[in-house]
Amino acid sequence: MHRINKSTRKRLKFAIFVVTLIVFFLGYRLIRVQVIEGSEYRRGAMQQWTKAINLKSDRGVIYDRKGRKLAVNVTSFTAWASPSDVNNPEETALKLGPILKIDSTKIYENLTKESSVVKLKQWITREEAEMVRELDLEGISIVDDSKRYYPFGNFASYVLGFTDIDNNGLYGIEKVYDEYLTGVPGVWVKATDRDNRQLPYGGEKIYNPEDGTSVVLTIDETIQGFAEEAAEETLIKNQAKSVSIIVMDPNTGEVLALANKPDYDPNNPRMSLDENVNTQWESLTFDEQQQKWYELWRNYAINDIYEPGSTFKIVTAAAALEEASANLNTHYYCNGFIRDIPGVVLRCSSWYDPHGDQDFSTAFSNSCNVAFVNMARDLGKEKMFEYIKAFGFGEVTGIDLLGEQKGIIPSGTESIREVNLATLSYGHGIAVTPIQMINAISVIGNGGNLMTPYIVKSLLDSDSRIIESYEPENKRQVISKTTSEELLDMLELTVLEGTGRRAYVPGYRVGGKTGTAQKIIDGRYVDGKYISSFGGLAPVDDSKIAVLVIVDEPTGIYYGGTVAGPAAASVIEKTLNYLEVPRKYTEDELEATKETVIVPDVRNLSINSAGKELTDLDLRYTTEYEDFNIDTLVLDQYPSPGVEVIKGSIIDLYLEDGSNNPVLSTEELNDSN
Amino acid sequence: MAKQNIKKKPVDFIIFISVLTLVFIGIIMVYSASWPEGMVRYGDGSHYARRHIQWALVGIVGMVLMMNIEYRIWKKLSVPIYIAAIILALLIFTPMGVEIKGARRWIDLGFTTFMPSDAVKLGSIVFFAAFLDNKKERVRKLFDGTFPAFLLIVLSAAVVYIQRDLSTTATVAGTMFVMFFIAGMWLPIIGVIIAGTGIFAKYAIFSEGNEYRQRRILAFLDPFEDKLGDGWQIVQSLYAMGSGGLLGVGLGQSRQKFFYIPESYNDFIFSIIGEELGLIGTMFVLLLYAMIIWRGYVVALNAKDAFGSYLATGITSLLAIQTFINIGVVTSSIPVTGITLPLISFGGTSLVIYLAGLGILMNISRTSNSDRRKVNENNN
Repeated sequence: MHRINKSTRKRLKFAIFVVTLIVFFLGYRLIRVQVIEGSEYRRGAMQQWTKAINLKSDRGVIYDRKGRKLAVNVTSFTAWASPSDVNNPEETALKLGPILKIDSTKIYENLTKESSVVKLKQWITREEAEMVRELDLEGISIVDDSKRYYPFGNFASYVLGFTDIDNNGLYGIEKVYDEYLTGVPGVWVKATDRDNRQLPYGGEKIYNPEDGTSVVLTIDETIQGFAEEAAEETLIKNQAKSVSIIVMDPNTGEVLALANKPDYDPNNPRMSLDENVNTQWESLTFDEQQQKWYELWRNYAINDIYEPGSTFKIVTAAAALEEASANLNTHYYCNGFIRDIPGVVLRCSSWYDPHGDQDFSTAFSNSCNVAFVNMARDLGKEKMFEYIKAFGFGEVTGIDLLGEQKGIIPSGTESIREVNLATLSYGHGIAVTPIQMINAISVIGNGGNLMTPYIVKSLLDSDSRIIESYEPENKRQVISKTTSEELLDMLELTVLEGTGRRAYVPGYRVGGKTGTAQKIIDGRYVDGKYISSFGGLAPVDDSKIAVLVIVDEPTGIYYGGTVAGPAAASVIEKTLNYLEVPRKYTEDELEATKETVIVPDVRNLSINSAGKELTDLDLRYTTEYEDFNIDTLVLDQYPSPGVEVIKGSIIDLYLEDGSNNPVLSTEELNDSN
Repeated sequence: MAKQNIKKKPVDFIIFISVLTLVFIGIIMVYSASWPEGMVRYGDGSHYARRHIQWALVGIVGMVLMMNIEYRIWKKLSVPIYIAAIILALLIFTPMGVEIKGARRWIDLGFTTFMPSDAVKLGSIVFFAAFLDNKKERVRKLFDGTFPAFLLIVLSAAVVYIQRDLSTTATVAGTMFVMFFIAGMWLPIIGVIIAGTGIFAKYAIFSEGNEYRQRRILAFLDPFEDKLGDGWQIVQSLYAMGSGGLLGVGLGQSRQKFFYIPESYNDFIFSIIGEELGLIGTMFVLLLYAMIIWRGYVVALNAKDAFGSYLATGITSLLAIQTFINIGVVTSSIPVTGITLPLISFGGTSLVIYLAGLGILMNISRTSNSDRRKVNENNN
């Protein structure tokens, strides 16, 4: 038998020595990995086991002032895929394509992506969701989701705004009150295995979501409806670029309605409501499309400025009466022109038939430029500027909507030159936002106070308890109650006998002022483009509402009274009716409804003789603000000859084009900014 | 006289108890670690554990059998055993070969699959022990001893290497090298071996088709660099070990076994021991291996004859090298390589072969002179 020799023994002992070293080394490694570096690895391990699942909170509801829901949440479904679990991507894609109405090759691309989850389609219908669920495809799941829904569609779009696909507010109230509406999302923390299955150990934690706060608007859904309807009608009738209507409670500053047309459906904000436009947009680049969207989402009533024209005469008149630089007995003489400003001749709208001598009220209802220039001169530019500012022009009103503009007013009294003061008196050389204008008109309606307009009445928690309510805020007293009452009478007179006749509503005492201004684009008046407006209050003895109608670029007739007046009348009549304000007919009104007269044919007559003929028949007519002379011909009329109308009705006369003399040169306009 | 002495001596108690303890721990841990996969794949958490217990019983019967078979018989049977092992290994290239997870390492025996590299391990040890015993002092000679020895090492290693199993190749070659070293290898040969290993390693790592080995080395150097890719296994192993800390999260409470560690009942079962039983558990297991290895070399030291000594050395070294590589991998002490933990990992062939080998080792222990006086007598 071969025995073990000495060298083998030695070498075996050496082997034991080496093995001992290795065992000690591994023992050291164990201590290092498990204890010394252990906590670091433990943290990494915990992170990978722990999955936090966000629990969405329900977004708050947006109510109108009467508790009607304008923006709600509906359950919606989203189709998700986890590509690693999909067994047969081609087959799965082919099955899903027709249900989800997506190209199957596109689904296939998603199903073969190198990511743990892919969103296939958001917001699919309940039927689609059920069909997908029935297929029971590996790796495809349907998740219940909450989607914002606006039950009225394109209704108050510019007030409500809209949200993005993840329910973040992007525009309007949705954006401004996003923080409140969103609520606090919850989290579900659980330990899972590598394939996201929950581990069979305890230790999961649920932090419940807190539902968002609901918002109650000052908007009244019914009045908003009147405004939307009137705006739409006016838009179509005048083929205008856009129409804005604001209705406000003059006593509180609460916005009751705010409508712009054309508008969009917040359920689908990236599509125009006009199919033709959508087809056009398809061919645009993304940037161009985006430009179109931003344009579509602009809230003209807040974000755009315009030259107010004659409606601004309210401010001039108010300042003059308040400062007593004039009173109701002050007389103004109109010879048709202001010629004493070097280099410029300003004309009254009725320069061909000067107003002659008129008292304050008549001058107001005639909307006589010459009278107002003189009124402003008597007042002085310091006071004029003071009142422009006091009425809130040149500063934001503070309404709780986004992107409000300040408008453009002279930077200070030193920049108001003689010509500027003159044109300011009738609302030229100044730019305002619609919301500023209606807020200024409200001052007259509430006894002289400038209010902060607001659109959110209160905030409700998820149990509909009021957690915050917003009260009217009086910024300052601008004019005295007496002055405001005097102005109300004049506004009513304007509607009864002056330029605002189109806004007349039998039985309700409506006061208002029309305005027509040429549009300024890039600092220059543009021929043939006008902004026509009507601002009014009703009833004048106890103003319940202030209404402002603005028509941008009407086609054809552009007189504020004719274009914007009927819309205002419609909104006022329906709203007061809805607010249950009783009608009080005057005897004249009762009388007038009985007597009718046949409209004569005044076409191709001169304006002078046409006017005479109509007046003789107890009819009234409107031509308002145009450059024409006594011999200018009447091209057309409305209503047409032969129609039977009530006595006192207004006949619109369409005149042939006169010469267009700029009222202000560009240079002067820039100075006045 | 000698024969009677031999029969009367009991087996080495420390080895015996350590082996049984490890097999027991193996059953428990395979059950724990394979539970999630058993549930997901078969709806039965004990699916793997039940199969493992069957193999453990077969293995223990085999071990007891080997303990009672006079080990010298293996010298007589060494040639057929070696030839049979090599033929088995080559069978994987026949239609009987089974490919599992991209590696062709199994043959299908009809009722079960069998991993021939395990047979090659033991067969090589037996044959090499006989070879070294026959050569006696001539192992030092270059042409008579060293060259043939190297030829055998290369042959055994090659048979395993062609199965694309580098770690087992290294285990087998390492084991045979240790045997050669013990038998009296001429020391300067170590230089040649180091050079040879270097050249081989370079080929195995940098040749075409083996890029995964380079990536594993990079992943070893900074596993967190690509923890979702090549570093995944190391990172997950460290997460498990670290989560266990000193005392462990408790038996059966591992989270990492839920598919974070792939096949946690296999190569990375030691990580799960670390997670569930903590440093206490891993140290205890390491200690058990150390005891077997230490006693194994003592058996070799005290063996009655050189064949017994070489055989004991081979079996002990095989266990030692494979254990050290496995624990080295899971503690991120060496690059990742797929090798099971002897006696504990799930895997029938490996368990049975190891238990059989340890049975032989314990049979050798029965014939050894375990006390020093006798050793001295022998020397005289």
